[in-house]
Amino acid sequence: MSDSWNKNAIPRSRAIVFGSLVTMLFLGYLGHLFSLQVVDGYLYTVRSENIKRRSAVIPAARGEIFDRNYDVPLATNANSFAVEINPALIARGEHDEIFARTADLLGIQAADIQRRIPASSYHVYQQIEIRSAVPFETIVQLAENIHDYPGVSWATKPVRTYPDAEASAHLLGYVGDITPEELQVLYNRGYNARSVLGKSGIEQQYDLLLQGEEGRSIRTVDARGRRVGEDDVEILAPEPGHNLVLTVDRRIQRLAQAALGDRIGSVVVLRPNSGEILAMVSYPTFDPNQLYGNGAGRAFSQLRNDPRAPFLNRAIQSSYPPASTIKILLTTAALEEELISVDDTIFAGPHYRLGNRIVNEWRPSGFGRINILQALANSSNVFFATIGHDYLGTERLLSYASEFGFGIQSGIDLPGERPGLVPTPEWKRRVFNSPWVGGDTVNVAIGQGFLSVTPLQLANMLAILVNDGVLYRPHVLKEVRDGHTGEVIERVEPEIIQTLSLKPQTLQNVRRAMHGVTRGGTAEPVITTPVVEIAGKTGTAEISSETDDWHSWFVAYGPYETTDPDEQVVVAVMVDAANEWEWWAPKAANLIFHGIFADMSFEETVADLRRRRRLWYM
Amino acid sequence: MRSRSIFGFDVYILTATLMLLTVGILFVYSSGLGISGDALSHEYVRQIIWAVTGLVILVSISLVQYASLKPWIPYAYLLGLVLIVMTLLFGRVVNGTRAWLGVGILGIQPSEFMKIATILAFAVYLERAGNSIKQIPYLAAGSLLFLFPMALILMQPDFGTASVFFPIFLGMCYMAGAKVRHLMFIGLTALLVLAFTMLPAWEYYIHGSRIPAFEIFSNVRVKLMVLAGLAAVALVALVGLMMLKRRSFYWTIYSIAILFLSLAASLGTRAVIRDYQIMRLIVFLNPYVDPRGAGWNVIQSVTAVGSGGIAGKGFLQGTQSHYHFLPEQSTDFIFSILAEEWGFAGTLLVFGLFLVILLRGLYIAGNAKDSFAGYMASGIVTMIFTHFIVNVGMAIGLMPVAGVPLFLVSYGGSSMWTALAGIGILMSIYQHRYRY
Repeated sequence: MSDSWNKNAIPRSRAIVFGSLVTMLFLGYLGHLFSLQVVDGYLYTVRSENIKRRSAVIPAARGEIFDRNYDVPLATNANSFAVEINPALIARGEHDEIFARTADLLGIQAADIQRRIPASSYHVYQQIEIRSAVPFETIVQLAENIHDYPGVSWATKPVRTYPDAEASAHLLGYVGDITPEELQVLYNRGYNARSVLGKSGIEQQYDLLLQGEEGRSIRTVDARGRRVGEDDVEILAPEPGHNLVLTVDRRIQRLAQAALGDRIGSVVVLRPNSGEILAMVSYPTFDPNQLYGNGAGRAFSQLRNDPRAPFLNRAIQSSYPPASTIKILLTTAALEEELISVDDTIFAGPHYRLGNRIVNEWRPSGFGRINILQALANSSNVFFATIGHDYLGTERLLSYASEFGFGIQSGIDLPGERPGLVPTPEWKRRVFNSPWVGGDTVNVAIGQGFLSVTPLQLANMLAILVNDGVLYRPHVLKEVRDGHTGEVIERVEPEIIQTLSLKPQTLQNVRRAMHGVTRGGTAEPVITTPVVEIAGKTGTAEISSETDDWHSWFVAYGPYETTDPDEQVVVAVMVDAANEWEWWAPKAANLIFHGIFADMSFEETVADLRRRRRLWYM
Repeated sequence: MRSRSIFGFDVYILTATLMLLTVGILFVYSSGLGISGDALSHEYVRQIIWAVTGLVILVSISLVQYASLKPWIPYAYLLGLVLIVMTLLFGRVVNGTRAWLGVGILGIQPSEFMKIATILAFAVYLERAGNSIKQIPYLAAGSLLFLFPMALILMQPDFGTASVFFPIFLGMCYMAGAKVRHLMFIGLTALLVLAFTMLPAWEYYIHGSRIPAFEIFSNVRVKLMVLAGLAAVALVALVGLMMLKRRSFYWTIYSIAILFLSLAASLGTRAVIRDYQIMRLIVFLNPYVDPRGAGWNVIQSVTAVGSGGIAGKGFLQGTQSHYHFLPEQSTDFIFSILAEEWGFAGTLLVFGLFLVILLRGLYIAGNAKDSFAGYMASGIVTMIFTHFIVNVGMAIGLMPVAGVPLFLVSYGGSSMWTALAGIGILMSIYQHRYRY
């Protein structure tokens, strides 16, 4: 060592200790390796060359999904067979022949197999699924002639089925094979390349609960994959996923679906005093059964290319201007702030003018002097433009909109909920680079312009008013139950997400005003059910001044007054302007309320109302 | 002197580095082969590109006067932190870890480069601190330089990469003359935190039945009571120390403090450490707890290594690897393939080459012109050493699976450049070792 050990730097003794530590650890590792490779090497050689434990996966049954009655499942599993090929087990050069033979047996094109197993993956040691839902007879045929099909095998595979498919497609969602991108994200959380994953709705939201744990059957094989010893099969039983019980009542779900019919739109039915969703329907819908297994790709692309967007859950994933339904909020705000009493009147002429923004009354002659109860019952635009702009003002109006849950997600336990939008002066400056003007406030006050809400948010607005200012988080999951025993593992408790301190007098008057809508007001002609008193509000939004297209809203609750809050329900119906105009939202709600409170199916409801001569519109 | 250097390079380290790079490329190629012998992946081509570009980096750094780097070090450190934060926000998720930053196939792992940046920053700190590193406040303040990147990397979550920072800290402090009992305190506390976090899982998976005493680790209320008890004993000992000035009281407080801190910290760690990480540690203790799941890697890897025998099965002849029984075989488990195909002989070669780099690195550290260079060199040596011990230990079942690459050999651009940049700094220190 010609260099001098520098005194300023590293203490020499420590460098020596460190170096010795390095050397000692190296020698220790080498000693271990010596015993592994040289002393016991032959043991491992035998293990690696002659005997391998090969395991086959036994898939876990995905948990079933029930409605609140917990009797017949909404989503369950059917057994089916899948045929798989392990390309590495086919001798080189024989792939084409085996593929052709297998395709023949399964009644598909050899090209279909080639597409799933391209030549570049002929050496991949992995079972690749060729076809699912293979009939049992075909499997028997394959088993009898298995020597002609090297590398081909079959597996039982539970297939997800939805008996009540289209009524609750958006709610339940659908499942599909995990994609490589999804696997990258979910790796280490119990997922693998074979996982079947919930892709939307409840299936996606609670996927981990539904998954269960795969089992395995392990057998000992030699290096060529042949079995060694018949009895040596070890079975690790799979653990089924948890069963889910939803808050949804499938009779109400079917009733709502039938009441909406073939109209683009959505329906939400919820219990205001717990936030339980009793029904959630969106149209157009899809058949989740077609989205898994053979032909799923075609069905999927067909649905995805449908311009009516069938995958969209319009109850929570799209937002619209609330139109006149927002007048409920203005009524509440004006009464709560004591800007007006129920006895005060305002002159509602044919027009409301603010600068060059003119709001026309829908009745050309105007209403004259009316109080707030009459204004809501008749849905006076001029009255509420005056209340919104002249009485409440921008700031108070927008803050009430926010407090009632507009512009943010409600937090329902379904994926993809949209927040809607409460426009603010700051927002407008950012997006349009133009200042907020009085006309913008007027637009919000009559539910047009930038303000947009989801049907669920409107239902929540009503829930707050019905429930004395308390809003529960809307939720779909009621209970989690054990997949084996059916024992309740977890029960979802109602959770308060917003408490507005509104005066009892305000609440009472607002409800009275909404009752006036169906008794003497705009909705009277169509709310014909005699079994329950309904209070609510209609809404009609013009989406363009050129075409004659209108969104139709109706949001209501019933019974109007009750001693038992448990029986109250809120119904929000939204029928898109894409449909032919028939003012359907209140009509559908009428059928739904009648069906719920008379405990009838859709057909029975229609028959019953016809018998009572109260169904003039159908 | 002249005989050892070409243009002033340290020939030993350079030769060992080049040989390891070659071995690495050969086995990255081997790992990409399927059963029938066709190449399934072309990772080796990229590995060659990274090796060549990395060597350019090595040479460039070695020609630079390391002292001129000093003003840039704080910026490099901060840039590294910013990049890791960006990774957390916009990074790509690969294998459940958000550790990659980049577009398309071009991605970097900022956490790899952060190791070098942290070493350099801490070397600056140690030089400034001088002898004060013997005092606890200076030691604690310096540890912050490591805690920031570790915390951020744990959030990715990348337990393996984060854990490498810890030995580097201890190694650099040791070489800078910090008190051994302080370092032991830190080391023992960390070990006990891990142990206390693990024990409930150990009880469940390995021991099989409930042990009443383990309530201490699994029941938060009992844990808090034990903590209060420990604090009381420590207080008594502290009073004893002040009044009697007896050495034994010092060590009582010392051990109780370790117990107290690690027990308290284990309250929080269960929230940070993920279930699968616990499972990896459990299967390290006994892979047969979960032979089809998390234990699979360990069992397959040890089988591959053991079946290599003395001379190995021959290059490209490994069966375990070509049946793709090993996951991540070009990165985490490259050593298993090497040990399978080249046997104990190949193992000896790789160990020898790494030993040359490490011991030569220590020699360079000791002969450095100034303490700053000595600390840098110590940090780099510790980094390479830690990677080696963790990666090889993992392949032979002596360490838990942690996803730490074997420097210079494993597939991967970021770790390759990190290693070669580190060796470049060693070279620069060697070339500029004389005072003029």
